[in-house]
Amino acid sequence: MSAQLWALAVVSAVVLAAAGLESLRAWRARRLAVRASGAARGEPYILYFTGDSCTVCRTHQEPALARLDGIRVDKVDAVADRELADRFHVYTLPTTVVMASDGQALHVNYGYAPAPKLARQIAEARISTVSATATA
Amino acid sequence: MSTPSSVVDHSALKVNQTGIIATVLVAFIAGAFFRPAYWLIPLLAIVLLVGTFAPSLALFKQLYFQVLKPRGIVKPRPVQDRPEPHNFAQGLGGVFLAVASIFLIPLPVVGLALALLVAVLAFVNLAFGYCLGCQIFFQLERRGLVKATRSSETSGTF
Repeated sequence: MSAQLWALAVVSAVVLAAAGLESLRAWRARRLAVRASGAARGEPYILYFTGDSCTVCRTHQEPALARLDGIRVDKVDAVADRELADRFHVYTLPTTVVMASDGQALHVNYGYAPAPKLARQIAEARISTVSATATA
Repeated sequence: MSTPSSVVDHSALKVNQTGIIATVLVAFIAGAFFRPAYWLIPLLAIVLLVGTFAPSLALFKQLYFQVLKPRGIVKPRPVQDRPEPHNFAQGLGGVFLAVASIFLIPLPVVGLALALLVAVLAFVNLAFGYCLGCQIFFQLERRGLVKATRSSETSGTF
């Protein structure tokens, strides 16, 4: 029985360490990616990184993106377009990047991002665009 | 980017993951009182590895296709998808279980921990749809280390 308890403790430690490292990796990648810029579109839009091997993209992320009415979504194959994927430090699929109208990345979501979260980020991108215009 | 033209029945994947979790848990719990129960872990490793290279011999998937699906016990859930990342993830699970089997006799804690880790990852996939093996496949594909056949060329619909 003691082998079972020790194994359980080891697995718990591994899972906690992996979760911690994943959070750290996402935080670091997000910090670097938010500085990156893409094409200016005049309206906030979403860069959606996906790939043929990504199942969650089709089962979860694409239905969530479809629920965002009137938002432009630029779909990018992260395997084919490595240069763009590297610029936004895409290490997992799906990755969604909310871009401001001037082409600046405002929010980067590594992994599945639900529709309400994306809608909130788009609203923030619109507000930041309006305040930037007012300041200018 | 093209949408995969092959269809993967995700219910088969879920049954496979459930089978992995159940087998490891039975070996883990029963092994505390009845040591021969540990033999389930190398057996599961063989089942997963054989199923990776010959999907028609994948035990849990065949249980789904031959028994659960025809009797309406589990409803099919076809999704346009590529089978390669899932096969890769299953193979990775099989390799981890094979390594766990080697450690079971001299270092049971390591063997059990590795087997339990496979069950935890299968549970994460089953419950949250996060497939670590598929993410590793994506990274290998990005680095050009895995050259998967395009979906239109694959016949591996399971």
